Amino acid sequence: MLDRTALVIDDEAQIRRVVSHALADDFNKVVEAATGADGVRLAAIERPSLIVLDLGLPDASGVSVCAEIRKASSAMILVLSARHADQEKAMLLDAGADDYVTKPFSTLELKARVRALLRRGHSQQSGGGAIMRHGALTMDLEARTLTRDGSQVHLTPTEWELVRVLMSNAGKTLTHRQLFAAVWPGRQYGDAQQYLRVHVANVRRKIELNALDPHYIFTEPGVGYRFAPTQ
Amino acid sequence: MTSDRVNPSRALVWTAAFVVLIAATLAMLAARDHLGEAHVALVFLLVVLGASAAGGRLLGVTVALAAFLAFDWFFLPPFNTLWVRNPFDWLVLLVFLVTSVVAAQLLYRARAERVAVERAEASREADKLKDALLASLSHDLRTPLTTIKALAHELQTLGDERTLIIEEEADRLNRLVTDLLEVARLEGGALPLDIQTNAADDLLGAVMQQVSGRPDHDRLKVSLENPAALSFGRFDFVHSLRILGNLVDNAFKYAPPGSSIELTGGLEKDALVFRVSDHGSGIPTSERDRVFTPFYRSPKASGQQSSGLGLSIARGLAEAQGGTLTYAERNGGGAMFELRLPAVTA
Repeated sequence: MLDRTALVIDDEAQIRRVVSHALADDFNKVVEAATGADGVRLAAIERPSLIVLDLGLPDASGVSVCAEIRKASSAMILVLSARHADQEKAMLLDAGADDYVTKPFSTLELKARVRALLRRGHSQQSGGGAIMRHGALTMDLEARTLTRDGSQVHLTPTEWELVRVLMSNAGKTLTHRQLFAAVWPGRQYGDAQQYLRVHVANVRRKIELNALDPHYIFTEPGVGYRFAPTQ
Repeated sequence: MTSDRVNPSRALVWTAAFVVLIAATLAMLAARDHLGEAHVALVFLLVVLGASAAGGRLLGVTVALAAFLAFDWFFLPPFNTLWVRNPFDWLVLLVFLVTSVVAAQLLYRARAERVAVERAEASREADKLKDALLASLSHDLRTPLTTIKALAHELQTLGDERTLIIEEEADRLNRLVTDLLEVARLEGGALPLDIQTNAADDLLGAVMQQVSGRPDHDRLKVSLENPAALSFGRFDFVHSLRILGNLVDNAFKYAPPGSSIELTGGLEKDALVFRVSDHGSGIPTSERDRVFTPFYRSPKASGQQSSGLGLSIARGLAEAQGGTLTYAERNGGGAMFELRLPAVTA
């Protein structure tokens, strides 16, 4: 096992206990913090590779803790959310969180999310090549082509860019705002975000076998879109 | 602050206004020989404005009339009669009266506007508070459920199968908490809405994604009325997914095992129409209105785990975003629910 540290920030001792227990298999050191301020401090001292952050902290909002940690740390941040508001999840991802789990979650689900995050962190370091493959799809970044089962899929420049951004972040939920900023750099978000949904609908019809049962581009309701993770 | 203030302080303000008016009149009377009409008019105007600021429109106008009479009686020759000798003095009196009444009126309107703004602000604050309260309630209820689930899972690794039931029951309790909070939001008017342009494809795909975890998920057949066309609507994606999710869940629950469930989407004039139909026994005519009321459970549903909230939440969410949810009998028997949402027509 690598020398890996995880940090759990939650005001509830019971939750800290079960989360630490679940992380014990993948991390050789798990540190706990009961407040946002402590969490920010420990994130700087312990240099963890994963931070599990609860949203219901008494001393600070999840978004502000997340943004504060992000200033000095590149750790993966997994948010525990008990709230129903999906807009809040989107705000957290925008503030630099990598993924979220909704309470009540099962230990299996938490472990699966953590492992997916660690894998992704690892593959990001190794860097992407000029050719990306997912299932039947092959994207050649140099030739600017996308093929499905060997036959070329015709995409408009905007659609190509959208697929490229989604595919190179496979497994990660991208918020509407993040996708919009990546595909239309410099454009105002606001009203124009509806174009994003129109383009996603068009792209799905081109790359999915059945646009009503997508296997590549998944919808994260109220938050954004996620490209299927590499298996 | 407002003009509909309680009596004691109101009587006080009226008395004070007339005391000031009389005092001003007496003071000016003492110096009448040195004062011009303009001096008198301005002092009275000041008293009228003070009265309407303190006591509202009615007091303002009343004081204006009293000041008008005092002006005529004491300060326009011949004194001590309402008769006015110089025709131009009539003009002064008239201008004074109109100015005072209009000023009182304007002051009243400005105040009413401020009160309306304050009230709107207070109601916005109250909505925010309700939302924050429900969010923290949601957090406080779900946190212990998380601990229960996680501990049950830990115990399961020791080999006790009963822990599975603990996990299932925790999930059931969570669904109930979710439903109750949703009802509270709908009833309390604290439901956040995020209306966007969304594709029918996307919503149908999300329903498919949601049921994909069920072992019998292939019972659900999803299709578009016009597969070649992309249709868009203006609606809240999460709420609409919840509506269709509830309808599809009901169909899985109440239609015979193995029977197919159809979900279709299409554009009809200015509405996006989604229909969920099954091959069960449908809903008897006598129950069709009642199924949408909160906590109503059909006698048929006695064996099923149900809070009786699913359909009332679905209808509430549909109406909150300008849509409708209705029931009709499927052609050939079975239940059919129809969700209509505002469409985007090019």
